[in-house]
Amino acid sequence: MGTLVLSAEQYLGVRPEEVFALFGQGERAGWLFDARCDRLAVGSTVTLTAPIGGEVGVDLLGRISALAPPGRIEIVHDQPWRGKIRLTIDRHGEGSRVRLRAELDNEGLDWLIRLRGHQSPDPLSADEHRIGVMTSKSGPGSVFSAATSYLAAMAVDEINADGGIGGRTARLLVGDDGTDPGKAVVEARRLVQAGCRVIVANTTSASFNAMATALQSTGLLLVHSLMNEGGGSGELVFRLGERPGAQLEAAVAPIMKQSGGRRWYLAGNDYCWPRVVSGVAHRVVNHHGGTVAGIAYAPLGTTDFTPIIEQILASSAELVLSTFVGADLVAFERQCHAMGVRDHARTLALALDEPTVERIGVDAAAGSYGVAGYFTALGNEQNIALLKDYRSEFGRWAPPVSSVAESVYEAISLYAGAARRAASDSPRDVARSLRSGRFHFPRGEVNIENPNSMQQDLYLAQVSDGQFSIQQTIGR
Amino acid sequence: VETDLAFNALADPIRRRILEILSQHEECNAGELAEKVDEVGRTAVSGHLRILRTAGLISERKAGRYRYYSIDPSSSAREVVRLLQSVFQTSLDRLKETAEAANENGEAVSPETSASLKAM
Repeated sequence: MGTLVLSAEQYLGVRPEEVFALFGQGERAGWLFDARCDRLAVGSTVTLTAPIGGEVGVDLLGRISALAPPGRIEIVHDQPWRGKIRLTIDRHGEGSRVRLRAELDNEGLDWLIRLRGHQSPDPLSADEHRIGVMTSKSGPGSVFSAATSYLAAMAVDEINADGGIGGRTARLLVGDDGTDPGKAVVEARRLVQAGCRVIVANTTSASFNAMATALQSTGLLLVHSLMNEGGGSGELVFRLGERPGAQLEAAVAPIMKQSGGRRWYLAGNDYCWPRVVSGVAHRVVNHHGGTVAGIAYAPLGTTDFTPIIEQILASSAELVLSTFVGADLVAFERQCHAMGVRDHARTLALALDEPTVERIGVDAAAGSYGVAGYFTALGNEQNIALLKDYRSEFGRWAPPVSSVAESVYEAISLYAGAARRAASDSPRDVARSLRSGRFHFPRGEVNIENPNSMQQDLYLAQVSDGQFSIQQTIGR
Repeated sequence: VETDLAFNALADPIRRRILEILSQHEECNAGELAEKVDEVGRTAVSGHLRILRTAGLISERKAGRYRYYSIDPSSSAREVVRLLQSVFQTSLDRLKETAEAANENGEAVSPETSASLKAM
């Protein structure tokens, strides 16, 4: 596969050193889609908001891959498509010449074509077994889904290296829900039309529920792989992933003990999963002798959390349970840090994972807790092998693997195993063979008992110096 | 599949040069295009035109013994490439404004800007 290259050029009446110094400073600097980064250093995460696809634009999530002040900045990005942007600043008379060179791959071009409302027909061939993955390549969820399509591609490559499914080559089709339930349905229909036999949903529960309702009569198998509140499963609908009850039972008591705090404030995005979590949290917190000082919600896509943070500060809460997700979680945690919440309260964020932490930043994320069935830090052999393969395939600048991304790898592997065992093309037969079993994955042993339950060990982890360190393992 | 074709068509530097020329002119015949493309001869240009047409990136109009070529406005890949191109160029134009406004003595050294599709 080739790469498409675009270039642009401009002459500035300002010296290269001054042009370079403006980079990464956001809106005021005027640099490349208001490029924002905390530190101008190789490896630092950077966000560019490209003015395409609607009023808010599209966030390109990447990191600085090379830097040579004041002449060169290179950025690689993974969302919404995989690409590389090279900026070269040369002296030109008293000023400078800035050149931009952007590379994108075929999938990126496809994504943009769909964004512009065009179709690119892709007829199903008889020797293909199509597997759909719904993820968030755009919208606030693009932060937590950063590595999802890479892990999905790895799972499908492994299936094909192992002979495919029923003599056919497995082929991955990726849909982008834009972190929006309406768009999830449109994209899910596209995957159905394209001949996918299964959709592995790596999205919010809001998108998942909308898809489950819309796809009811299609006879398609639908699997929710990442953490969710459960419910709504059926013959063809599976919900794997961590459950809030287990996460809170694993985290609440140890955090209260470590911090000495008892008063919790519950804050999260306004959709089904955070609301279910709040209900469960009331029970778990009370059970362990704590109290709930207040609850607040903000819609997905919120960027200013000042009113909620003021309520948290006013409540004298000593602990915050955050159920914000993706870019919202990044903005909330950064603002909590800036407004002094860290001086009074510790935070447990159920959706806190590696790609989110690196965007919150070392200082703002310090001391926060996450609880999940997988962290990059797990030292088992299978995980070490997975991470080695991931880095050799996608390079050192690819986003960190998280529970969300690993869950899609697992779900695709589980599906392929079930399809092979069923030796049938019917989603109902495959679903029957997926209903139970014990499996070994990079997260450890998982046990499927029914379509609404996957038992797994959980890990309570705390961030220090920008990395999770696992504090406790809580058995199934 | 349409995307694959367009993508492969765009991956070649001569074909990008042809598209660049066509984006600056309403319509050209094969002879005019061959004159403007220095790198290869007329026969090769005809071959590239056929590939671009199959990919849906350009359209062909016959008039007498000439065939005229123009950019197909319905071409989705082309539209996307144009969009991205203009978005990147605009970002540098904005940088120029901001940087020069920040610098009191800021005056453009060279007002001209250029943007083109280039091969790797």
